[in-house]
Amino acid sequence: MKRLILATELKNLWREKLVLTLFLTTSVLALVAFFNAHYFANKQRDVVLAAQQMQQQTIQNAKAGLPERLASTENHKWWEDPYDLRGQAFYLMQNYATKTPLATAPIATGQADVLPYYFKMLIKEKQHIVHQYDYVHPLSLLLGQFDLSFVVIYLLPLLIISICFNALASERQGGQLRLLMLQGGSATHLLTYQLLLRSALIVMPFLLISSLLLVIIRDQMGVTELLSYNLIVLCYSGFWIALTAWVNSRAKSAANNAATLVTCWLALVIVVPALVNTSIALLDPTPSRIHYIDSLRAASDDAQKASEKTLAQYFQDHPELAKNGSGASDYATKKIATINSVERAMEVQDARFLNAQQAQQQSAQKLQYLSPALIVQTLLVDLAGNGLTRHHAFMSEVEAHHQALQRFFANEIAKANQRGDFAPCDGCSTKPTLTNLADIPQFSSELATPVYSYAPLIWLLLLAVGLLLIAKRRVNKLDSANNKEVLVV
Amino acid sequence: MLQSTFKKEWLDTKRQGQTLWLSGIAVLLLLLACVTGFKSHQSYQQAVNEVSQSEQLRWLNQGEKGPHSAAHYGIYVVKPTTPLAALDDGLQAYQGNVLRLEAHIRNDSLFRSAQDNVPLSRFGSLSPAFVLQVLLPLLIILIGYPLLAREREQGTLKQLLAAGASPAKLFFAKCAVLFTLSCLFLLPVALFLLYSQTASEAPYTLRNALFLLSYLIYLLLWALITTTLSSLFPTARRALITLLTIWAFATLLLPKLAMNIATTLHPQGSGQAFQAKLESEVYTDARLDAIEKFKQQTLAQYGVSQVADLPFDYAGAQLQFGEQYADKIFDRLFKARLEQLEAQSQSYQLAGLLTPFIAVQTLSMATAATDFSHQQSFENAAEQHRRLMQEVLNFNQRDHGHKAQGHYTAGKELWQQIPEFSYQYPRFTHYLPHYAISLISLAFWLIVLVLLSLFAIKKLRLEEQR
Repeated sequence: MKRLILATELKNLWREKLVLTLFLTTSVLALVAFFNAHYFANKQRDVVLAAQQMQQQTIQNAKAGLPERLASTENHKWWEDPYDLRGQAFYLMQNYATKTPLATAPIATGQADVLPYYFKMLIKEKQHIVHQYDYVHPLSLLLGQFDLSFVVIYLLPLLIISICFNALASERQGGQLRLLMLQGGSATHLLTYQLLLRSALIVMPFLLISSLLLVIIRDQMGVTELLSYNLIVLCYSGFWIALTAWVNSRAKSAANNAATLVTCWLALVIVVPALVNTSIALLDPTPSRIHYIDSLRAASDDAQKASEKTLAQYFQDHPELAKNGSGASDYATKKIATINSVERAMEVQDARFLNAQQAQQQSAQKLQYLSPALIVQTLLVDLAGNGLTRHHAFMSEVEAHHQALQRFFANEIAKANQRGDFAPCDGCSTKPTLTNLADIPQFSSELATPVYSYAPLIWLLLLAVGLLLIAKRRVNKLDSANNKEVLVV
Repeated sequence: MLQSTFKKEWLDTKRQGQTLWLSGIAVLLLLLACVTGFKSHQSYQQAVNEVSQSEQLRWLNQGEKGPHSAAHYGIYVVKPTTPLAALDDGLQAYQGNVLRLEAHIRNDSLFRSAQDNVPLSRFGSLSPAFVLQVLLPLLIILIGYPLLAREREQGTLKQLLAAGASPAKLFFAKCAVLFTLSCLFLLPVALFLLYSQTASEAPYTLRNALFLLSYLIYLLLWALITTTLSSLFPTARRALITLLTIWAFATLLLPKLAMNIATTLHPQGSGQAFQAKLESEVYTDARLDAIEKFKQQTLAQYGVSQVADLPFDYAGAQLQFGEQYADKIFDRLFKARLEQLEAQSQSYQLAGLLTPFIAVQTLSMATAATDFSHQQSFENAAEQHRRLMQEVLNFNQRDHGHKAQGHYTAGKELWQQIPEFSYQYPRFTHYLPHYAISLISLAFWLIVLVLLSLFAIKKLRLEEQR
């Protein structure tokens, strides 16, 4: 009987040309989504590579030009001289901190198009470094990338609904269900096989093609990541199949099922996420960046006004940098001291933004249970390495690198100052104070593979199992009612 | 006919209950969106006013210093909004709203608030524009898909036609019912527009009118397509599935694909490459040669052999020359980048011929002044102000620098000579050519759907004859 149900279902789908149509639709969606996101990730990778190459090229060029520079007797303006510590520190340095996209990046672009993934480092306030961003069309950011997660979260459920909404209902309305019961079949079996076969036609080609592309085209795609991706998609599809089973088990008309399922989709994928997002922003509002500018400006003014005091404080913190133990120093040291002072003054403001974002993230983690779409988006974005966890780790490394650069230049400038290397003339320098640019600290990232929790998936599975159990009980009732009718007939 | 159709549909709606619930939820969502939109607009505008004022005071009270030091000190300017931004915040979160104006460099705007958000924010927030553009069409579909198809399924359509009801009148009566119902959802928006029109010091009449009109046309389009498909399909089920597929394509899939294709067709280099190009083109030997040439020309013009003999401070003149030299490069490179971005905008607008969502979204953001073109206007105005600042400061150095004993410094009198940057958006007619494609797209969709409606009416007539 099971084989007969399967064969009939397949024949019906084939007759309606649905098998080919669905296979083509999901395949095209998988291909377009993968290549679009892959192209985007590759563009970011190319930018990272170009930045790293430029950094190395600058070091090589400086090395090649050093003999000529050493032989030169003309005056060089320090701010234009690549062999001057101050010129490099404040104006000329080609030093980048970069975040390379992971092999899993095409799965979900997440915030990768909005968040910065490279920084050109200079010795200036951290606040002026970490707010750099890639200038792209803002509309493309508003609309987001067409990636695999978009297909999984928005389109797969719609496709499942569109092909499964009339499972059982059309057989019941057409009278075939009674015939099936007469032959010893059951509504439970019919509904189960219909849903499994129909949704497999959508989910399997999509998973197969997207997984193959990830393995073949993306370098270093890990088995664990691939299995995780498959597991997440299967669990999410499983939830929608279970929801369809529950709606179909209510024994309403196919049109009613369609309306109910679409309303559920709309609520869970569009309305609830938008409401959750709005609530999060209302509960833990992000402080105003416009007011932040005001504070930054005030902090800079205060540090400038109290520059002598700032410098004294700086030497108190770093006595090794003071010239012969006195407070006399050059412009560069004063500037670094001021930068330090501004950064310290802005710590409270920066913490406010970080705290607000962390509070929002915590609320998001709690509220994600309200919608399977939120759970899956969080998981896929983390898996793709485009979530906040990896970004925060990157930002910590950027800040550490910024501090390392500041320490390096502060030390070297102080030493050069103590040696009197900046002395030759006011506003110019004939003596190179930085002969090897490779001595400048270079950014090295130790970003580990993102860690993600499967706990929300268990909730998704529980929901699916719950819906399936209710559906089974209802269809069983339908079975017994139909059996009675069959007996009466 | 219209009155009886209204009565009949109202009774149906009351009986089903589902539609009333959905409508109630939609109204609540819209009201919530309007309130949060209004609050966020108010707090943004308040921040703009406060910070702009404090920046101006900071500029004026920066104390005695050299004009070039003041040029480096610079000023921050903040982009203002229009009251319509409360209804459609458009691209506000995805483009910087603050610009630093300083010597030697043309900066990009700062701080995209989207960077401070959690990844979940990419699902979109509940703004009035989101409700109007995405949710309301869905509600129209859910209310309207059975209008004619169910009459046909129940056999009442044939009875109505046999009783002498005109197919055209019946069609338009059903469509009018749907359109009128959907217009009720625009009431909170219309009231807000009325309020902003009367309360605002500088009312944006044309913007408000076009905003409302574009949404009215958009809702009419969805009412027309829903009634037409309900009339063409034999069953309500098929009408519903087709309409939902169209909705998903029109509001979710096509806009995303269209923008992805636009950015692929008109690729733009990375910010890193752009900055590298700026640096490599401005600070070159050619610039040093040009400065040297300028120096020789100036010396020759005044018939002296060294700058110290000039009747003005040469440093100020050279600074201004350097600014003008760099400005030409900025103009060329920023223009090339802008052309690519504009090409992306135009390609996206062209896709409005495939979905009216794109057309109405473009017009909505445009009238609310929260789109890319308005951002460019603001950035251009800010850049002109930056150049004016540099000119005033450099010329002051040139004209007075040589008179000072030692280092020349200026004070509040000079800072006051630079007018306060107070940006006002140009009249909307100035922008109309930018949105020609979207206006044409809306008109195109209206014509197509009216023709499709006429076809549906013709089919109804054939049904009547059968």
